[in-house]
Amino acid sequence: MGHHTIQEVSQEKFEFQGRAKLIPLLLIVLGAVMAVIGSMQVKNNWDAEDSHHSNSHTEEVHDAHADEHSMDAIKTVSLNDNPNTESIHTSEGHEAHADEHHGPTWMTRVWANLLMNSYYFWLFAVGAVFFIAVNYVANAGWAVMLKRIMEAQSSYILVGSILLVGIVIGSKDSLYHWVQYFHSTAAGDPSAAGYDKILESKSWLLNNTSLFFFIPFVTIVWIMIRMKLRRNSLAEDSEKGLSMFKNSTKWSAGFIFFFAFSFSALSWLIIMSIDAHWYSTMFSVYNFAISFVTGLSVMMIILQYLKIKGKMTLVSDEVTHDLGKFIFAFCVFWAYIFLSQWLLIWYTNLPEETVYFAARLQGDFRPLFFINLFMCFVAPFLVLMMRNAKRSPVVLIIAASIILIGHWVDMYLLIMPGTVGDHAGIGLLEIGTTVSFLGLFAYTVLNSLSKANLYPINHPYVLESANHDVGP
Amino acid sequence: MVDKSILLDNKKFTVGIFDDSDKLLHAVNTLKEKGVKIFDCYTPFPVHHLDHALGYHRTNLTIGAFLCGMLGCLSGFTLAYYMNVVDWPMIIGGKPQDISVFTSFIPVMFELTILFTAFGMVIMFFARSRMMHGIKEDLLSRRQTDDHMVLAIDNEEDQSVSNEDILALLKKEGAIEVNDSKEAFNTSLTSEEELAEILKSTKTSTKKTKKK
Repeated sequence: MGHHTIQEVSQEKFEFQGRAKLIPLLLIVLGAVMAVIGSMQVKNNWDAEDSHHSNSHTEEVHDAHADEHSMDAIKTVSLNDNPNTESIHTSEGHEAHADEHHGPTWMTRVWANLLMNSYYFWLFAVGAVFFIAVNYVANAGWAVMLKRIMEAQSSYILVGSILLVGIVIGSKDSLYHWVQYFHSTAAGDPSAAGYDKILESKSWLLNNTSLFFFIPFVTIVWIMIRMKLRRNSLAEDSEKGLSMFKNSTKWSAGFIFFFAFSFSALSWLIIMSIDAHWYSTMFSVYNFAISFVTGLSVMMIILQYLKIKGKMTLVSDEVTHDLGKFIFAFCVFWAYIFLSQWLLIWYTNLPEETVYFAARLQGDFRPLFFINLFMCFVAPFLVLMMRNAKRSPVVLIIAASIILIGHWVDMYLLIMPGTVGDHAGIGLLEIGTTVSFLGLFAYTVLNSLSKANLYPINHPYVLESANHDVGP
Repeated sequence: MVDKSILLDNKKFTVGIFDDSDKLLHAVNTLKEKGVKIFDCYTPFPVHHLDHALGYHRTNLTIGAFLCGMLGCLSGFTLAYYMNVVDWPMIIGGKPQDISVFTSFIPVMFELTILFTAFGMVIMFFARSRMMHGIKEDLLSRRQTDDHMVLAIDNEEDQSVSNEDILALLKKEGAIEVNDSKEAFNTSLTSEEELAEILKSTKTSTKKTKKK
């Protein structure tokens, strides 16, 4: 087996036309139609259900103050009690609490679903920006051939951020119960009946300034840095030398520093504040793990798609192998973060912490909880462990898809129990919205991919990447 | 490569000794093209692509690692389960003493998986490389453990390419020393005089390289 070295990387372009253009557009329309039909179904079922249930609960709430009720529920929740009694307590507490704020309506489910999908797809783009930056800062060469895929994937950050910020602001009244609380008369008045000490103590972060200014500010900074990196990368194509590389490295270092803090804050604000009484110090790392592993899986699927199309032939099995290793490693990382969060909460068994897992381990969410663990860790761990698996396109596509679906369930579990609660379900609405977002994501990414060469031909490490060898 | 004991059979090898890994790799490729069967290469450090050139298979040690890991994982579970549930149940943090505290077993299972894999790999690697206590070194050249690389060809039986041709080829490829009947020697059997001679020759050759 002679070893032959690639001396020059040829220019190659992806053409965005025909079916590649049509299918994403069709997906957007199809998904939107499905989502509209689904939401109508949800609306009708909701009204029917409401007339059934509402009488039994509203009376209860009028007896006692809703927040006392919810605190009671929190106190009785313990993960080692008999699950049946618990579920009664939690659902009671939850609905009591929810009823005070007029309960979840069918629109809550639509909003929660939009938030879930916009956040999910936005994380792909965020993961890609982070990966570009990490490659610059670590001075890494192996993934340079994939740089344009990362850049294309990160191009969704603009559309994704606009959608996410719009949806967060639009849904704030129906999804975030702390928004409702701060609007109520009890806020800021310790003598008032519904005064919530926990929420008051978090008012420095959970307020309108954060929602209207901090989230847009952070996303704008990310978008600007991403644009700078992309411009440098495109300029490099026509200009040899190290100046662009050095400039990008500086921006990447700055980005990572800013990203570490701002991503944490955004994950608290957007997702963790749904369960505003609860908090976990692992939560932002958990979200980062999701972002990175899903970003890598999407990258792998785009790469394999281009390979099927006959493009990117210079990306050898060695590079794909390393990307597969990265996916494998970050599946384990996700499981590690999951366990770190779960283990401490389980061990200490503090009611205000266990309430989060109690809502997810009981009732309708219980099977999804285990499906999530299986699809995000067990299955990819076992599938991707073998060397040959990481070199087989079919296995890689399957593994990446399992991970992506698993993390969709993960997102569902992050958002739904705290917002829609018992009314949550996976139906036409959820699937339709995801399909629609998928179409939008695919359209944006493929469009951006066609705007530049598939290889960064003048990147200083491009030949290192082309001749990358992982060894025996 | 590790299966081949060169000491026991008193074989005679045609060897070329190189001081440059690129030259060695090139020589291996050229000899293979000519149809010469190469016995093995002995290098003091791993030479990139040499394993491909010699046509070696990928190691199966990883399967061993997986099995060790599985064993460790199961041992961890058994250990934690036996101690916490069967033999000496203790109430910790008000938790029950049955399988429902599986979560608390995970750190033990994880650690033992790592421990068993690490030790298993070290033991297996040494066993596979025949680096056990009491094994004598068998060398074709003393400096193959320092900075020289030995290309060994076993053509006592196979004479499709003659010894002279091979020696000429090796020289052409940049071998600093060639020999067509080199026998492996055991360092523990070397006499004092032999050792002195070897050291002397080593010194002279070092001087030569310095002069260059």
